[in-house]
Amino acid sequence: MVLDDLGSSLRGTLNRLQGKTRLDADDVEEVVREIQRSLIQADVEISLVMDLSDRIEDRALNEEPPGGTTARDFVLRIVYEEMVDLVGESTDLPLESQTILLAGLQGSGKTTTAAKMAWWFSKKGLRPAVIQTDTFRPGAYDQSKQMAERAEVTFYGDPDSDDPVEIAREGLEAADEAEVKIVDTAGRHALEDDLIDEIRAIDDVVQPDRSLLVMDAAIGQGAKDQARRFEDAIGIDGVVITKLDGTAKGGGALTAVNETDSSIAFLGTGETVQDVERFEPNGFISRLLGM
Amino acid sequence: LIEAAELEGPLFELEMALLESDVEMTVTEAILDRLREELTGATRAQVKGTGTVVEEALAESLREVISVGQFDFDQRIAEADKPVTIVFTGVNGVGKTTSIAKLARYFEERGLSTVLANGDTYRAGANQQLAEHAENLGKKVIAHDQGSDPAAVLYDAVEYAEANDIDVVLGDTAGRLHTSNDLMAQLEKIDRVVDPDMTIFVDEAVAGQDATNRAREFDDAATIDGTILAKADADSQGGAAISIAHVTGKPILFLGTGQGYDDIERFEPDVLVDRLLGDDD
Ligand SMILES: Nc1nc2c(ncn2[C@@H]2O[C@H](COP(=O)(O)OP(=O)(O)OP(=O)(O)O)[C@@H](O)[C@H]2O)c(=O)[nH]1
Ligand SMILES: Nc1nc2c(ncn2[C@@H]2O[C@H](COP(=O)(O)OP(=O)(O)OP(=O)(O)O)[C@@H](O)[C@H]2O)c(=O)[nH]1
Ligand SMILES: [K+]
Ligand SMILES: [Mg+2]
Ligand SMILES: [Mg+2]
Repeated sequence: MVLDDLGSSLRGTLNRLQGKTRLDADDVEEVVREIQRSLIQADVEISLVMDLSDRIEDRALNEEPPGGTTARDFVLRIVYEEMVDLVGESTDLPLESQTILLAGLQGSGKTTTAAKMAWWFSKKGLRPAVIQTDTFRPGAYDQSKQMAERAEVTFYGDPDSDDPVEIAREGLEAADEAEVKIVDTAGRHALEDDLIDEIRAIDDVVQPDRSLLVMDAAIGQGAKDQARRFEDAIGIDGVVITKLDGTAKGGGALTAVNETDSSIAFLGTGETVQDVERFEPNGFISRLLGM
Repeated sequence: LIEAAELEGPLFELEMALLESDVEMTVTEAILDRLREELTGATRAQVKGTGTVVEEALAESLREVISVGQFDFDQRIAEADKPVTIVFTGVNGVGKTTSIAKLARYFEERGLSTVLANGDTYRAGANQQLAEHAENLGKKVIAHDQGSDPAAVLYDAVEYAEANDIDVVLGDTAGRLHTSNDLMAQLEKIDRVVDPDMTIFVDEAVAGQDATNRAREFDDAATIDGTILAKADADSQGGAAISIAHVTGKPILFLGTGQGYDDIERFEPDVLVDRLLGDDD
């Protein structure tokens, strides 16, 4: 799970502060180094790690701990607050009619996530539809259609068309009855100008209420540039972290959240349509920090 | 002589540079430890500053890691008894199926015939995806119904190749995470039953710190002969190549550089080292 190791290694370091009432510079340095290590191993982008750890160090050294607080609780609280600040609330997803556009790198999990989200909304009592606009990847239509069948939701796609913008337009019309319209797109990355232009055109037609960036939990330092490019092209309102059932920590998603000034919407934890969870920051950070 | 203390500044900068390039942390540390040991107490070439000496030693060290086990892929295939069976493994969505399609084209250009075998009997749309690639490329595809035994599909493809004088069997497998015990056991079974001539691990250049975990686990389940790093066009750093070569001791064979059938290149260790060290020329 995301940043689990931060919890365990940080707890270890913090436990060494047990019984202390005052923090000295060496203590703070040790804690900060542990935080840096954990965040880097979780794939959080290096300069973001440094900013975060600088703030923690600065506060730990310069803020006066509230009366009666132990050194350990004081540091823990600073780390907690800084993490809350970075992660933010879960992306707001009102249970009402809306259109959601999914974007992201090739193979990040968009098509699977589209079906998962449709399933999730249907469990909440709304009628979803998946609209598949990927005309490029072989088998994309069949994959998406089969996944929508598994989620038992409406599906729209056109295997004979090669115009994603047109499919999006027709799909939105065809899925008029649906309350939540989830528009899946072909994979693309930051350096593919023509494909970035294409998703901009899709975005223009779809006019989504929310655009979500779907990210593989294993993505490395490149997350920053990728997120920046999608943010500039279509504006990102939330991030979905996929494949969290592996050992990758998903820190790239934190980078993306920071870069797009957005938040985390869903977590993907498997290949079936049920393997999706709404992101819960409080429980998540508390678990992370062992509180 | 170079003093240990003098090294710390330049080494710290290199450490950060490697981490920024997605070289995994323990791999980064292993490389730096070796450098520290090598350089402490060494005589400094007279005109060079500590920084330059350290950088040269790093280049050497990276070259050593990344050149590990390189072999002449074309020659090995050319000389092997036909049909040559190659099975592709890796986590979900990295580019296995697309790499198979690219290699079908690659072999055709070298005068070798191929048959594609869809050992991904799990994922939605997997049969249609490989069938469409095969049609585009004019290749035969062997596939069974979803949910059937992947080993049986690959086995059938080998029989087909034997009966029809096909040179190379390209066997796909379903993506799976190394944390799934069932699916990793299934991969072991495929490896045992099919006993391929070559197993190629596919990963993506955008992968971060997790690259070492999965490379190690896949190599344990079905010993790999080399790696294809797909989506190199999406990432200019490619530190994942260093991580994977370091933990597996097996060569990076190809880079995937796009979604087209011709977007595959033989991997050049020196090019990657230059890129990691920022001397692009
Ligand atoms: N284990 C696991 N696999 C996942 C998860 N989400 C997606 N996958 C798998 O990841 C692979 C890629 O997923 P897709 O949904 O096809 O990804 P995509 O972003 O639509 O890919 P393109 O359309 O080619 O860009 C498939 O094998 C999925 O089954 C997840 O949360 N866990
Ligand atoms: N940009 C780029 N995209 C690639 C490359 N290789 C594969 N892709 C894309 O990545 C996505 C996933 O590729 P697949 O070949 O389906 O990956 P896979 O490993 O077979 O996926 P699963 O079978 O679901 O585990 C597709 O959209 C491909 O077009 C590459 O070298 N560069
Ligand atoms: K935004
Ligand atoms: Mg897709
Ligand atoms: Mg595949």
